[in-house]
Amino acid sequence: MKIKLEKLLVESLTAQRKDTGKRKAKGFVVRLLFYLVVCDLAFVFLYPFITVIVDSLKTDSDIVNITVKWLPSSPEWNNYVVAWKRLKYLQYFTNSMLVCGFSTLGHVFACSFAGYAFARYNFRFKNILFGLVVLTMLVPAQVLIFPLYMQYSNWGWINTYLPLIVPTFFGFGLSGGFFIFLFRQFFAGLPYEMEEAARIDGCGAFKTFFRIMIPMAKSSVLVCCVLSIVWHWNDYFEPGVYVTNIDKMLLPSRLPVLYGLLNAEQFDTIHVNELDDIIFNEAMLMAATFLVILPILIIYSILQKKFMEGVERSGLTGI
Amino acid sequence: MKGRKLHMTINRRRGIEAFIFLFPWLIGICLFFIYPIFVSVRLSFSEITKFKGFIMEWVGLSNYNYIFLYDTKFVPTFLQVMADTLLNTPISLVFSLLIAILINRPMKARGFFRTVFFIPVLLGSGYVMKQLLGMGADTTSITQGIMVPEQMLDLLGPTFSPIVQSVLDRITIVFWKSGVQIVLFLAGLQGISSSLYEAAKVDGATQWEMFWKITLPLISPVILLNFVYTMVSFFTDSNNALVDYIVTQIFTNQQFEYGAAMSWVYFIFSFTICMVVIAILRKRTYNMGDRA
Repeated sequence: MKIKLEKLLVESLTAQRKDTGKRKAKGFVVRLLFYLVVCDLAFVFLYPFITVIVDSLKTDSDIVNITVKWLPSSPEWNNYVVAWKRLKYLQYFTNSMLVCGFSTLGHVFACSFAGYAFARYNFRFKNILFGLVVLTMLVPAQVLIFPLYMQYSNWGWINTYLPLIVPTFFGFGLSGGFFIFLFRQFFAGLPYEMEEAARIDGCGAFKTFFRIMIPMAKSSVLVCCVLSIVWHWNDYFEPGVYVTNIDKMLLPSRLPVLYGLLNAEQFDTIHVNELDDIIFNEAMLMAATFLVILPILIIYSILQKKFMEGVERSGLTGI
Repeated sequence: MKGRKLHMTINRRRGIEAFIFLFPWLIGICLFFIYPIFVSVRLSFSEITKFKGFIMEWVGLSNYNYIFLYDTKFVPTFLQVMADTLLNTPISLVFSLLIAILINRPMKARGFFRTVFFIPVLLGSGYVMKQLLGMGADTTSITQGIMVPEQMLDLLGPTFSPIVQSVLDRITIVFWKSGVQIVLFLAGLQGISSSLYEAAKVDGATQWEMFWKITLPLISPVILLNFVYTMVSFFTDSNNALVDYIVTQIFTNQQFEYGAAMSWVYFIFSFTICMVVIAILRKRTYNMGDRA
């Protein structure tokens, strides 16, 4: 009896071991496939980025040579020097930074306020007003730009950064409606207990908001910050309409200017400075493109860890 | 102060608080939304007779008539944009949820992959991407052969490979616009407590069942958010053919009145579609904080 039991035990154990061995092999194949799929997808997403970097290092002859796709014959770092000078980088960088910083601040304040009101309070016309929020997202910026231009020019705001910054402090501007929606979704997912406890302890509505809700909404604030910075930095449509003064232009608006140089340069015989001796080519345009998105990449790589941490700690669905 | 507080009912006080929280937005909507819309609507029914002082004359529906009766470009472009959006939105949502689930699993170099999937957003909406997409227009599409090497597609034979290729190209472009959606889904997935999965596992649920019974219902608010976001971003994209056409009419051809009328027709349709989608999805979403 005892021997039989032992035998059974050993048998079952070896069977299990065999099974785990098989499972391990199967697990390896599955994992390999998994990494292959993820790497392939990652490549698809990295592609535009790699293209910009690779193209920016090509020499004159590499551009026309179709056999040079991924590896420039010798990296032409001078492209970056030309692009830097052509962009007048520092001057326009400061302009862009100013607009980006203020408008992000505005978005975080105004949109978290409105989002909280929509998530937690019941008031008259709430559904209609929230419908209006969705409506503001839906109307393309291009549709309202003409009436807004008239309005801003009446106020004397043209060629200042006010049309880009002031609306964000009222929850408008670039994708303001989306950020309100984001905050509303986040606050709606939080349990009521925290606020009720605070209220019972005698904490006023605004104190509750700033001391309890905002710290809980850190992840949403960060998402809002990152997205607002990125979108404002990349936007060239609105700044292109409101800010036409060359010295006040924003960094991305310089790119179309450089793009114009691409075709005109060859026929240009007037030489103003030493830059005009260098023919502006596509590689330099790509270098300029990379320089334009570089600050965004740096900001994102700094914020990324916190951004992801915030994402890890509490998601949009709350607890 | 204290005496006044006592006279207020709780509902009234809550109402005032809500009003204060909404106050900046209420000012904003009047200044930066309702008034410009009012001007734009009036413009679409009028004709500018004098630019100095901006004097308009009421002409009724003639701008709108022109859209449907004379303009040969508007209706086809419009239908194309609608079809594209309705096709791209589900593709974008399904793939971004899939990618989010993939990179949410325990794996090596997780942080790296998470950054990678966000990179097109950084290059994003602006001039950079437009230029990259435009670059390929005259020669071969830059999306060609990214996802699956062309040599592999050739095995499918001459009839199928272009079809598969075009589908993959479309998916690639949709992918590049899905960075935000992926991040939002990741956030949602992180929010689901692992104890739910453990309990389900103990009860003998399979991965497949867990996806349908736990992941999907709990992530439904994020699906709603992403659905709205995706549709809106496709509708208002500045690379969108119709938006492009309208902007050209306004700024290049200086047809302000006609541009306004076109944008209203476009807007009303896209808004209706979005509202229908929200109404359908809202009934099916599940909020942890909701009180029945």
